[in-house]
Amino acid sequence: MDGNDLTEPLPLQLLRDLQAAVGTDWIFSDPDRMVVYETDAQTAHSQAPHAVVLPATTEEASEVVHALHGHGILMIPRGAGTGLSGGAVALRGGVVVGTSRMTGILEVDHENRRALVQCGVLNNDLNAAVAPYGLHYAPDPSSQSACTIGGNVAENSGGPHCLKYGVTSRYVTALRVVLPDGRVTWLGGQGREQGAFDLAGLFVGSEGCFGLATEVEVALLPLPEAARTLLVIFETIEDAGRAVTAIISRGLLPAALEIVDRNTIRAVEASIFAAGYPTDAGAALVVEFDGVEAGLERHAEEAARCCLDAGAREVRHAESDQERMALWKGRKKAFGAMGRLAPDLLVQDATVPRSRLPGVLARISEIARRYDLQVANVFHAGDGNLHPNLVYDRRDPEEGRRVEQASAEIMKVCVEAGGTITGEHGVGVDKRKYMHLVFSPAELEILRGVKQVFDPMGLCNPGKVLPDGQEAP
Amino acid sequence: MTAPLRSFLAEVVSAGTLLPEPERARWAVNGAIPSAVLMPSSEEEVGRILARASQEGWGVLPAGFGRWLAGGGGANVELVISTRRLRDVQEYEPADLTFTAGAGISLSSLAEATGANGQWLPLDPPGGEEGSLGAAVATGMGGPLGQWYGPPRDHVLGLTMVSGDGEVLRWGGRVVKNVAGFDVTRLCIGSWGALGVITSVSGRLFPLPEVDVTLILEGHQRFSLLPHARALALSSLPLAALELLDPLDWKEGGSRSPAGLVVRLLGSREEVEAMETRVPREAGDAGVFKRLEGEESRAFHGRLGRWEEGAGLVLRMVALPSLLGAVLRLVEDSQAQWKRFPAQEGLDVRVAAHVGAGVVRVAVWGISLEGDGLRGGWVEALSGLREVLEGMGGSLVLSSGPAPLVREVGTWGGRRVEKTLMQGLKRQFDPQGILAPGRFAG
Ligand SMILES: Cc1cc2nc3c(=O)[nH]c(=O)nc-3n(C[C@H](O)[C@H](O)[C@H](O)COP(=O)(O)OP(=O)(O)OC[C@H]3O[C@@H](n4cnc5c(N)ncnc54)[C@H](O)[C@@H]3O)c2cc1C
Ligand SMILES: Cc1cc2nc3c(=O)[nH]c(=O)nc-3n(C[C@H](O)[C@H](O)[C@H](O)COP(=O)(O)OP(=O)(O)OC[C@H]3O[C@@H](n4cnc5c(N)ncnc54)[C@H](O)[C@@H]3O)c2cc1C
Repeated sequence: MDGNDLTEPLPLQLLRDLQAAVGTDWIFSDPDRMVVYETDAQTAHSQAPHAVVLPATTEEASEVVHALHGHGILMIPRGAGTGLSGGAVALRGGVVVGTSRMTGILEVDHENRRALVQCGVLNNDLNAAVAPYGLHYAPDPSSQSACTIGGNVAENSGGPHCLKYGVTSRYVTALRVVLPDGRVTWLGGQGREQGAFDLAGLFVGSEGCFGLATEVEVALLPLPEAARTLLVIFETIEDAGRAVTAIISRGLLPAALEIVDRNTIRAVEASIFAAGYPTDAGAALVVEFDGVEAGLERHAEEAARCCLDAGAREVRHAESDQERMALWKGRKKAFGAMGRLAPDLLVQDATVPRSRLPGVLARISEIARRYDLQVANVFHAGDGNLHPNLVYDRRDPEEGRRVEQASAEIMKVCVEAGGTITGEHGVGVDKRKYMHLVFSPAELEILRGVKQVFDPMGLCNPGKVLPDGQEAP
Repeated sequence: MTAPLRSFLAEVVSAGTLLPEPERARWAVNGAIPSAVLMPSSEEEVGRILARASQEGWGVLPAGFGRWLAGGGGANVELVISTRRLRDVQEYEPADLTFTAGAGISLSSLAEATGANGQWLPLDPPGGEEGSLGAAVATGMGGPLGQWYGPPRDHVLGLTMVSGDGEVLRWGGRVVKNVAGFDVTRLCIGSWGALGVITSVSGRLFPLPEVDVTLILEGHQRFSLLPHARALALSSLPLAALELLDPLDWKEGGSRSPAGLVVRLLGSREEVEAMETRVPREAGDAGVFKRLEGEESRAFHGRLGRWEEGAGLVLRMVALPSLLGAVLRLVEDSQAQWKRFPAQEGLDVRVAAHVGAGVVRVAVWGISLEGDGLRGGWVEALSGLREVLEGMGGSLVLSSGPAPLVREVGTWGGRRVEKTLMQGLKRQFDPQGILAPGRFAG
């Protein structure tokens, strides 16, 4: 079979080697303790691994991976398990190597605006550690209170403020990596533009397929001195989309432009996260500008004008930090609240050129109607990054099938509009079947080759990103 | 020229693709003139040429206009493929702030096309805007604007390349966020032609700033402005560029001061005005800044972009920004040493540093290897300098210099790189190893 037989226990010698590497407390295979390791936040894919190992240092991780490699056992890197494409799930068995003990902030070098952290550090904890220096780590996935820097690296995560600041790969300057054979190496680093391929750049976004990143060096930015935040209420989502286009066409560069649609607003308002968004609205748009104080007011006013011209019914301004948080709340808690709409939620993720947003959104609602599904849209409008989320009940297999079919059509529509099948959540397991929509057979062959360069034995997180031959169209 | 090459030129290459004979000499790579310079007019033609070259094992150097072919180190080259005729703007949707253009478009032509819609690609690689887009991406090299906007890797959304065996491959796309598949786009940026001929590039544009102001502080002693430069680098002001120049020519043909600090401010009127009042204060009351605005400011940076034109030797030194002072002292000591070489007392040595990034560029005019022990002296001096920098955790690249010197010292340093990974990756794209032979993975 492809992978490790789940009915076969791990070899005894391997268990001894793993215990020697991390100590008996940090390797386990009892079902109770492993249950959280069966899925990530996209619960559709579920499989308990053979065992879970939690190393505390690069050296321990290297010993662990070396031992697994020696026995031909699969290695599945895992951060906090907040991934939304099944990337950290051991679908083919093997051992999950978790990073939850690797939470050291090794260095904050404020003079050079950089930090070196262990991969299991949470995004928020890194920010808390550098804030006293007036610095921050810019990529801000909505899951930042829970997700790890290692997971962000593996997924090349984005966030609301990536419109202005860019995604993870812009900020990762060097990586210490345990390669799939257990060898430890540095990728990137000082003067990386010189004399070498950008291996750190290639590793970012590799979804755990190239090895385990154990230490991450990141670039930090000074905290913006001031911000202006608007919450704009629209009758229709199309109006909100037009407002976004108008703001960009005017030459304004907001730090964030985020939209939630009617279904999302209703879910939020019915939940414990109620943020005071009007439930009869078609959409709400959060607009934020940041930078030096001067000029922000005018930019905010110009953006408000664009919105009103596009048919906005109300513009709310935040006067304090507290009010700013309140305006953001409905957006930030959207995923949490949607969980209430139905037992299951398929969080979709795709990108289209911004100017195609209105047309694509209309196509998506038409597709949802046709398959009799409810779609709730939350998206990074400024980046054209859509999350058309489908609510369903997995116990109803027929509905599950409709969700599958609708998703496939949505992906096609996004690709045809000049976009792509994932903007930030990754390919993981789910989207391997759509890879041929964006890559030719020759390109897929190169991607396979690149994976083999890092992982010649195919032991590192197999069954992710790359389609198996038979899944081609 | 060999017989197979002659027949190839007759059969595979269409009319207009072969560069006329008299011009070929200008395309020498480290002193060696290639057998032919080809200017294909389509990706497919690039593919046909490379497929054949792979079969025959001919070394190929991808190029733009051939303005800086020496840059990437020794290449044993039979053919040069220039992207000069791949220069269309293929797609430009102002509302998306994205574009796709042929690799052979010059940055200035691209700026013209996007400027008409109040947008720009904030990239200013060395050599100025007459260089090609493809070369900026292939070298991965940015300039002063990197302080705020970042290097080319932060602007490129996708690219089309032709691999060593002639396959046309498209990576990334024209959307700002894209994590489908491994990030081969990144891998190609800064790959110096070793993985393929980049034929088109998609990138992200920015709104043109309302106001463009440059503040210039003059110093009376070399390197005297460093403390002010570092203070600004550590402020929270979003400066577009922060450059230390020693010496400073701030006007063409004007007088020269020993040192200069250049601060570029881009943004809205209010924002720039606010920053302008803060810069002298945050720089630690450094004195009176000269001020250039609009066209004057742009022209100044245009000249700065061509700063090392005509230099016989160009070095690029990188270290952590906090080590800038130490690197500048090294340059000062080196300069004194070089000038003691026989017949080198008249050397003109200039320095330009990207303060925020910790990059120090050194350009030398008047270098000569023709003299007693001169060549050995230079080799030893530069190798020693590199060793010291590497000891500091930094690096030294010999961006250009007399061919024998480049050969002996090497363009890139002995920085620890993952040789197995590099070579493995190279083989995926260029199985016969014909592209940019001798460059870092070859
Ligand atoms: C409510 C919610 C909101 C979200 N919002 C956003 C958002 O705004 N933007 C966004 O981009 N994503 C978002 N996500 C998705 C998710 O949080 C990110 O993908 C995150 O980066 C995953 O981090 P993690 O530590 O949980 O990784 P995991 O889920 O544990 O793993 C994700 C992948 O990374 C690999 N991996 C993990 N650690 C390492 C390592 N050290 N070395 C190598 N590979 C590793 C795993 O093998 C797996 O393939 C959201 C998720 C949720 C649940
Ligand atoms: C005066 C001057 C000083 C310069 N100083 C530096 C410097 O210090 N450091 C530095 O890195 N650069 C330097 N450059 C190069 C510069 O940054 C640009 O890359 C160059 O000006 C572009 O010119 P071109 O289009 O003629 O590129 P070329 O000179 O034709 O090519 C430049 C390099 O890029 C590669 N290349 C070009 N196009 C492609 C393509 N489509 N696909 C793959 N590979 C390609 C070539 O192999 C070559 O190595 C300098 C240029 C000049 C004119």
